[in-house]
Amino acid sequence: MSARIAVPVFPGTNSEDETVRLLRDCGGDAELVHWTSAQTLASYDAYVLSGGFAYEDRIRAGAIAAHDRIMDYVIEGAQHGKLVFGICNGAQILLEAGLVPGTGPVRRPTAAFAKNAPEPHFVCRHVYLKLEIEPSRCAITAALPPWALVPAWAAHAEGRLAASPNDLEQIVSGDHLAFVYAHADGRVDDAAVPNGSALRCAGLVNGAGNVLAIMPHPERDGWNFNHLDRCSGDDVLAPSGGAALFRSFLEALS
Amino acid sequence: MTVGVSISLKIPDNTAYTALVALRRLGVDVDRVERSEILLFDDVDADALLARITADETMFNPNKHRVSVLQSAKPSWGEVWIEPLSNPGRRAVAWRLYNAHGSPVKRPVLEMAVERLLCNPAIERAVTRDLFDGDNRNESE
Repeated sequence: MSARIAVPVFPGTNSEDETVRLLRDCGGDAELVHWTSAQTLASYDAYVLSGGFAYEDRIRAGAIAAHDRIMDYVIEGAQHGKLVFGICNGAQILLEAGLVPGTGPVRRPTAAFAKNAPEPHFVCRHVYLKLEIEPSRCAITAALPPWALVPAWAAHAEGRLAASPNDLEQIVSGDHLAFVYAHADGRVDDAAVPNGSALRCAGLVNGAGNVLAIMPHPERDGWNFNHLDRCSGDDVLAPSGGAALFRSFLEALS
Repeated sequence: MTVGVSISLKIPDNTAYTALVALRRLGVDVDRVERSEILLFDDVDADALLARITADETMFNPNKHRVSVLQSAKPSWGEVWIEPLSNPGRRAVAWRLYNAHGSPVKRPVLEMAVERLLCNPAIERAVTRDLFDGDNRNESE
């Protein structure tokens, strides 16, 4: 029997359908689990927290959701080694829940994806995530090649990694910096960063390597129809591009 | 001199209500939560500032908001301001928590609310009155 993946839906989540669809198109057994059915989450093998505006981002992005009953199950699962993958608002929730970088107690965040800088505006821009760790450092990236480039869309107003100098140092020294922003040719510089993120960070991993949080959306660049110049005919419905990260996630579950 | 302006909702505040429900779930003994946005300006005329803000529909909607100039540009007793570390001293969110008797909650309850939900210390700081005046507060104030 294949691993069962839950895509939890908080009030305000808005990227759950494309997330489930890409997981299924890559061969995964994924289902939506709404907040009213949170008690069923314990029976799943892995969790993908998708994008949106959970609880309308009241107080702070991800702050209320981090204390939702859904997260009781996700945190318990993560502590028992289940894979947890957060995208955009899902990533913000994982930071607020203290699961990544995981350098402090649970639900005591040591970092945040804060308002973009220098302008605190919403950014919608095509980006590339460059794998900054050894692929095997994180179970979810283990099937990617070293220095893999994953295409995705940054679509957020709060995606700038922010933390104290001490916590940023711990992120670096603890090998928590999973992805940085890069150009299509793999070059990494400030021009590739859409939001002023510290360390040019696009994604963080926890110490155990089973929880990954990334800000950009690979599922919005995950099919050939997102790259119409490179496909034709029936090819348009085949997963590609950002699907590589989803395939790697599923590989870890197989 | 710094002039502080408070903008709050006169319609039901869903964010404050959400915070109330979340705080109770986190074990914070609180009966009511109020929230307002604080804006701080240096060396401005208070009346002119108020006129400017109330004329700016991106900041102030008379159908939804009430606005007032603060007596002093610092939190009241029993109130906490959450300021972004990236821009401290310019704007904040003020939270006022009340107990079942309608009084502001005591300091340990406010601190618990700040630590468990209201402030992410990675990007924000909590400012209370005693940071300005010293911790000489009379609890009945």
